[in-house]
Amino acid sequence: MAGEQNIGSGGGAVAYVGEAVIRFWGGVKDFGAYVASIVVSFRSLRFIRMRSIYAIILRQTVFTGIDALPFVIIVAVLVGGVVIIQGMTNLPRFGIEGYFGNLLVIIIARELGPLVTALIVISRSGTAVATEIATQKWSREILSLEIAGIDPRLYIVFPRIVASTLSVFSLILFFDIVAFMGGYIISLTSIYVPVDTFFQNLAASFTLTDLLSTVIKSILFGVLIPLIACYYGMMPRSKFEIPIFVSRAVSRTLFFVIVLNVIVSASFYFTWLE
Amino acid sequence: MRADIRAVAGRIRESMGKVEYRVGLFVLVPAVVIVLFILVKLGYSLATTTMDVYVKVNSIASLRKGTPVQIKGYRLGRVVEIRPLFKPALHFLATIRIRKDIELYEDCAALISRENVIGDPVVELRNPEKKGEFLREGDVIEGFESGSVDEIMAKVNVLLTEVNAIVALYRQVSEESRQDLRALVTGLSQSVTNISTIIQNSQKDIIEIIGSMRKTARTLDDVSAEIKKHPMKFLFQGKK
Repeated sequence: MAGEQNIGSGGGAVAYVGEAVIRFWGGVKDFGAYVASIVVSFRSLRFIRMRSIYAIILRQTVFTGIDALPFVIIVAVLVGGVVIIQGMTNLPRFGIEGYFGNLLVIIIARELGPLVTALIVISRSGTAVATEIATQKWSREILSLEIAGIDPRLYIVFPRIVASTLSVFSLILFFDIVAFMGGYIISLTSIYVPVDTFFQNLAASFTLTDLLSTVIKSILFGVLIPLIACYYGMMPRSKFEIPIFVSRAVSRTLFFVIVLNVIVSASFYFTWLE
Repeated sequence: MRADIRAVAGRIRESMGKVEYRVGLFVLVPAVVIVLFILVKLGYSLATTTMDVYVKVNSIASLRKGTPVQIKGYRLGRVVEIRPLFKPALHFLATIRIRKDIELYEDCAALISRENVIGDPVVELRNPEKKGEFLREGDVIEGFESGSVDEIMAKVNVLLTEVNAIVALYRQVSEESRQDLRALVTGLSQSVTNISTIIQNSQKDIIEIIGSMRKTARTLDDVSAEIKKHPMKFLFQGKK
């Protein structure tokens, strides 16, 4: 009897995993079809007035990029300061202070810069975009666009992808610059390193590969964040489902951004990319 | 009504214009930074990274245009020009073009030496023990010329000869010392023999002395016994 119970619970676990895998695969297929539909919608780009898309891109860039800039700057200064103080205090203990510049570039420019910026953009703009689109859908604005013959993917999703890509790209670069400069100023409170030595070491350590890694991450994150936010923003069928899908949009975007970050970082250590 | 619409449209256009400027700046500043960074990394120089400093030397026998300048063996730059100065006495001013980013102090010295087996000249900069002001563009450093290879070889030869002489002297001294030691040991053994002989002889003499002392004591006993028996006879014995 006990043995049957065990087999039963084991079978339930397998069924649960199987269901989760099928659900995940269904979600991937659905998301793939959604991305494909956006690509297909570019065919009707010529029927749309660029001025209207242009205005949406501008407004979205202001919200996602410029309005987030003060927050990004503060976080960058703090993160940069912590990394620089920790590095300059602890690296000499192991006799590897000569690699300080390399470590700084790897930690701030290649990893923390893109990731922290993406997290800020997700928390501010990802939620906002998902909520806005879900509300538009609930109030039938999207349906009205379709009835008017305007492709909502082209009019709503595409401008947000462009704006988000521009914003994330610029924010990451601002983050890196401010983290290095502000971090250096903060680090002066605990340790002294000549300013020219610090920045020359940094410039010597910063390679074009590091820059390429940062740019690739900024473009991928910039595309992925609005894409997932819009995908889940289109999902709710009633106003009560809006918070559920907004929350799901944020959690899934976070997950995929972290996974993508790992994939891009790891791929840059393969010899064929070096 | 139409005027109101126009005014609203104008205000919208104005606000859009401001937004455009803000977004333009927001996107262009990082783009310019990236372009500048790529240019610098590709080797294009945006600002000069070197400075010209003068080295005053008495002789340019081993200094020429293109001579490398280094600090602790690390290449900093090279000599770009050498020109003579006739006052107060003939000397030379070598212009060296070196990197700005290395910490050098105004009291540093320039040692002109030769670096490898071939004897290529090199200007070695040495920072002073006490650090003062940083070396700046146009500063003059005192240059010192170290000896040439021939001079060094001659000095090394003299040194080796002196070392050989010292070694020979030490060897001689040690040999003499060895002989002296042998003589000393021999003398010591003889002295020990003599002392033992003396001691043995002394022992014989002591026995004889003790024997004679016993005889003397016996004689004295006889004399005292004679005195006790016949004191007058003893006193007038031998007198007529």
